[in-house]
Amino acid sequence: MKLLTHNVLTSKCIRGVTVGYPLLIKATNVKVSEVEFKPDFVAKVLPKIEWDVLANAAESLGHWQNLPKELPNNYENDTDFLKKIHRVLLEVEVIQGELICPESGRKFPITNGIANMLLNEDEV
Amino acid sequence: MSQIPTPFYCLKDFPNVYEPSEDTHLFLDALEKEQQYIVNKQPLFICEIGSGSGILITALATMLKGHCCCFATDVNPEACKVTKLTAKMNQSIVESVEMNLTNMFRCKFDLIIFNPPYVVTDSDEIGGRGLNRAYAGGMSGREIIDKFLNTLPTILSNSGACYLLLLKENNIDEIKELLQEYGYKNELVIQRKIPGEHLFVYKFFK
Repeated sequence: MKLLTHNVLTSKCIRGVTVGYPLLIKATNVKVSEVEFKPDFVAKVLPKIEWDVLANAAESLGHWQNLPKELPNNYENDTDFLKKIHRVLLEVEVIQGELICPESGRKFPITNGIANMLLNEDEV
Repeated sequence: MSQIPTPFYCLKDFPNVYEPSEDTHLFLDALEKEQQYIVNKQPLFICEIGSGSGILITALATMLKGHCCCFATDVNPEACKVTKLTAKMNQSIVESVEMNLTNMFRCKFDLIIFNPPYVVTDSDEIGGRGLNRAYAGGMSGREIIDKFLNTLPTILSNSGACYLLLLKENNIDEIKELLQEYGYKNELVIQRKIPGEHLFVYKFFK
């Protein structure tokens, strides 16, 4: 599970949960694998990303690389910055661990890099 | 535009995953026909629901040369695993998540593709997380399709498009009418008669 995916997952549809976002990450195995860097693409994705959530997630995994806490202006041409974001969004991957609903505490296991977000019928 | 190659895949270790069949290939042909439209649209977030072997979402990832965030969901854990592998075998990246439809995503998608379980079966055949979930559609083959249709306005971005494979027995006119009420136009992309099934791929968009 890449942090891009973490950024768009929510446990809101659990009955009784109102926001369910962001999910907490507990990782026991994190891998960084090289993905082709496309600066234009990263710049296009960035406006769709919840910056604070990405920052906290990356920091909790020790991969924030001293990026600014607030999204800077004019990042489109800042290749170094985009390269770091590329790494955080697409190269850092949680292989084993779990996601945890911030309200209900419901745990979602991550195995072989795949999060199991299936709910039982009585949970929705 | 060029032909899109059928992605490589290997289901040897995944006996409970639906083997790409006539319906899958019809969907690939639909994506090929729509290639220009899809490439021009530059979709950023893409999702395949019920990805099975993963060849459809991988074909899209390849077509868009990785300039998109590709997600895939399936209720079958083996399908999730093989989808990720299929993407990798074809030098693409797809984020695979075990999920019912798209119910745990908070983002909207610019492109959604769904080859749903469309076969007319008894309702109680829809259960568990195995191979039966790839085809069993319950009454009129519509039980999963209808759940999906109800969520479409909340998961598809305003400029987005959804490709859906349907069977004649799914009462396609009824589906078109329902989506018209939600404000969606429809376009028949491709249809094919195979022994026992008349299949269609429709595009829905605003």
